[in-house]
Amino acid sequence: MPTVKEGTLSRRAVLKRGAATAALGALVLGRPGPYIGNAQAATPTLRLLMWQPYAIKETIAAFEDKFKAKFAPTFFDGNSEAFNKLKVGGTRDFDMVMADGFWPRLYFRQGLTKGLDYGKIPNMSGVFADFHPDKFVLLADEEGKNKVAAPNCWGGYGITINSSMIAKEDVGSIDLLLNSKYAGHFSTNSRFEENIALMGILAATKLGTRDGPRPDGKPFNPYQLTDDELAETKRLLIEQKKLLLTRYQDYDALDRLMRAKSVWAAPEFAESYRKLTVLRKERKIDFDVEHVLKPKEGGLGWVDTWMVSADADSERTELAHAWINLFLEKENYVRVVRSTGYGGVVDVRSLMSEDEIALYFQNRSAEASQLHMFDQPSSPEKWERIWSDVEAS
Amino acid sequence: MLLLAGPGVLFILVTLLLPLLAIFMFSFWRTASYELYPDWNLDNYHVLFTEAAYRTFLLRSALSAVVTSLLCLLYAWPVAYFIARHGGRYRLLLVLLLAAPFFTGVILRIAALQGIFGPGGLINMALGIFGMPPIAALMYTPLAATIGHVYLFVPFMVTAIYLSLVNFNFDLLETAKINGAGPWRAFVEVTWPLNWIGTAIGLALVFIPCLASAVTPRFLGGPSATSFGMSLGQQFGETGTWALGSAMGVVLFAFSLLVLAVMGFTVNLKRSGFTGMGAR
Repeated sequence: MPTVKEGTLSRRAVLKRGAATAALGALVLGRPGPYIGNAQAATPTLRLLMWQPYAIKETIAAFEDKFKAKFAPTFFDGNSEAFNKLKVGGTRDFDMVMADGFWPRLYFRQGLTKGLDYGKIPNMSGVFADFHPDKFVLLADEEGKNKVAAPNCWGGYGITINSSMIAKEDVGSIDLLLNSKYAGHFSTNSRFEENIALMGILAATKLGTRDGPRPDGKPFNPYQLTDDELAETKRLLIEQKKLLLTRYQDYDALDRLMRAKSVWAAPEFAESYRKLTVLRKERKIDFDVEHVLKPKEGGLGWVDTWMVSADADSERTELAHAWINLFLEKENYVRVVRSTGYGGVVDVRSLMSEDEIALYFQNRSAEASQLHMFDQPSSPEKWERIWSDVEAS
Repeated sequence: MLLLAGPGVLFILVTLLLPLLAIFMFSFWRTASYELYPDWNLDNYHVLFTEAAYRTFLLRSALSAVVTSLLCLLYAWPVAYFIARHGGRYRLLLVLLLAAPFFTGVILRIAALQGIFGPGGLINMALGIFGMPPIAALMYTPLAATIGHVYLFVPFMVTAIYLSLVNFNFDLLETAKINGAGPWRAFVEVTWPLNWIGTAIGLALVFIPCLASAVTPRFLGGPSATSFGMSLGQQFGETGTWALGSAMGVVLFAFSLLVLAVMGFTVNLKRSGFTGMGAR
């Protein structure tokens, strides 16, 4: 019969102790135990529906430490995915949500989020003037009465280019992505919105409708394309598909493809551009890279924002403001841009090198307003049909 | 008896039947700008059967599932046969080794394949060293996706055939030989029919997940490999067209049931010696 060494536990002992612990637990939990109840209440949880790159370990640790709160993120990919989650699943599961472009207004209009109190976000003072609601109006509702979101990072959906392989004269236009000279060396992401919107700008330019009067009386918006423009967009996307090596699924994949010189041009959020630029400086790659933020026909842009869910109670609303404020703190924000590789909305030039200032668009904040901001497609159903036709072609 | 069956029935009801019922119901609804409207209609099915794109996705997926199933079958039979006949006391170990890939997640396994087939992957890097051009057919093509499917699903097929073969009386082959049958005839007339149920289960285990596959074609297949599963997934994610996605789910479910029914008709339980349904 096997003996049990001193200091170890036999199976029977484990069962006995386990049963005793379970019984004790049941006793404590079974009665109205103020001690445990208070302990749970003392650690409020901030539940966020957010983009993964912003879940920065050090920032979260600082927040949890300072506010004695728990940070509970859930990640999503595209705006429509998060919007669907709140729209269909309700707002009770999340206290904060992220979105960009026109989406914060849509969330607010639909009653999914509530207004922010900028007075509780003193670090907004460090944000470039270009990203305050008076200049970047999408941070407030249509009437300008309520601040619907706080800015976070910004960028575009420009084209990153291996300039050793792409001729200088071909750079600067969305048309590059249809140039058969470089067939098999293009890649785009797999999201239907950006693909259709970017090609929609080119389609409207080719049709000559981009600068003319629009059916809705508003300026051109690639997310509000007419049927003719959508038909032309579909044609261009089908033409482009033949020239693609693949649709990249994430930025690691695009980095690999560009480093291997398999892909020479790809529209992207400048993440790969920044990584490759650093690698070039370190002489780890032997080709130059450039990023066309705004092609001559026009470009897509985004300003990521934080919003507070309509169902967040007063305690969690306070916490949400505290999180935003901490996030925008200059010392923390440097880490944000270095970690995410996105353009910074906070002026942290004094804490950065010249190279970093250029890399993180610290001198280019005014360009954000020249880009077409991400928006909800005029008809997701119509866009879905177009994307399916492209994918099936 | 009822008490014993109760938890199982409840589990199936909650986790399988209710979601299926919800999907079935949504398929007759309408989505507009990310909102579901209970306007009962057949529009989603009309779209699925009249729009060429969705037919293309379904045909692509069905073709891929057929090719993958056949390739798995060709690979799995000799392997399962060898293990069952010659594995001796290592049989269990060899079968367990087949499960080794499952120690990691699907994404990781697909990423590993990307690392082998990709432009900067092992194969093309090795070719490059010898001054040879890369094999374009392996980089983001439907062929690469098919290889990925075979890699992912072949253990299911081997296991199903092996489990059938371990219960097979190999002495029957000796009898066939004594009666003048060559090895091939003995296989075709004895081994194959008596193990058809294992093969059929293996085919079902490969065909159905492959039909619904989304991850493999997405990562390996390139821009021309969009599958029914990929398009279906998109309806519930990015595009928010839940009603159409639900109809796609119903079509996929019905198609899978049809395939299972066809396979079921080909199985002679008595001849196969299968006793799982009380047949003797």
